[in-house]
Amino acid sequence: MTMIMESEKYNKILNVLRVSKPVLDSTEDIEKEVIKRISKVKKPIFNLSEVIDSLFGWVYIGWVRRTLISASVLLVMIFIYQQGVMLKQINFLSRQIIDNREEMRFSTEQQVEKLLMEYKKPRRGFSSRSITISEKQIKELLDSVNDVKTKYKDLMDIIQNNPELKKLYDDKLIENSRTKIKL
Amino acid sequence: MIDIKLIEECRKGNLNNFRKLVELSSPLAFSVAFRMLGDEDQAKDIVQETMITIWQKLRKIRSVEVYRTWIYRIVMNKCYDHLRRRKRNPEFVADEKTWKLISDSICENPSKELENSEIARIINLLSERLSPKQKAVFVLSDIEQMSHDEISAITGMSKPLIKSNLHHARKSISEMVEKFL
Repeated sequence: MTMIMESEKYNKILNVLRVSKPVLDSTEDIEKEVIKRISKVKKPIFNLSEVIDSLFGWVYIGWVRRTLISASVLLVMIFIYQQGVMLKQINFLSRQIIDNREEMRFSTEQQVEKLLMEYKKPRRGFSSRSITISEKQIKELLDSVNDVKTKYKDLMDIIQNNPELKKLYDDKLIENSRTKIKL
Repeated sequence: MIDIKLIEECRKGNLNNFRKLVELSSPLAFSVAFRMLGDEDQAKDIVQETMITIWQKLRKIRSVEVYRTWIYRIVMNKCYDHLRRRKRNPEFVADEKTWKLISDSICENPSKELENSEIARIINLLSERLSPKQKAVFVLSDIEQMSHDEISAITGMSKPLIKSNLHHARKSISEMVEKFL
């Protein structure tokens, strides 16, 4: 049986074809056309594979590279999740401050004073930008101030009409002014 | 000579270096494309398309060996597309002139280099009955003299499939040679 592989004519033809290499007359035309077409192609603004290559291009072993990419993606996801949780907590806490303030009642004068002191404190308590006061609260505050004024006026009348009290009052005033000077 | 430095420079976007790479790679690509298609103009088109694909995906290349395999793979895939588009002639027509050319080449002066048009005529005649896969294996194995490992890396075919396709290609060509020569 004549093996096809051993066909003499077949091998001779193959030899002729092997010897005769196709000749590319000029590569210049191909170069020009290729460069022209490449220049026309616009690069995408964001190319994910380019970013991955620039970050992990130094890793040549395929599985190591894939593991690193997976680990990085996981870390980024954890970071984003944590940031989300933190933001949520911050929002929750800031809402709680406002709620607490809303719960305040001006039932006594002391509480009004306390609240006013809170407002007066620089860089403490609530900053002016974050204060939210309802109309009702303002009304309560004004009522309270008027009430204090009336009570103060009544008290002063009582003191003026009573010589003993007036004396005591004057003494206290003098004492207070001395204390201030001492300080 | 294609080296890794040249490829690295091209990866950075250096067009002058890429021009050099095109100059060095084009003959390789042209040889296979021409032998696959048997048409000079089509082979040149394939070379152009191949070089553009290379430019677009060059960053994936890590070594010269990979680059060589890769360029052949791109060429083969583009040749497959061309061959699939071509209508295969079911009835083989014996081309007397080409058979005479073959006869003269192997009898008178086997070491004489043929012109591109003559090579094209012979290859087209011999591979008339071959499928694209058989033709690819025939060109890469018997003309380009590549190993089965290389052919497997280029075409993605398994070794048994390569052997099978090569057997059918050789059988088909040998039958024609015995019959007409």
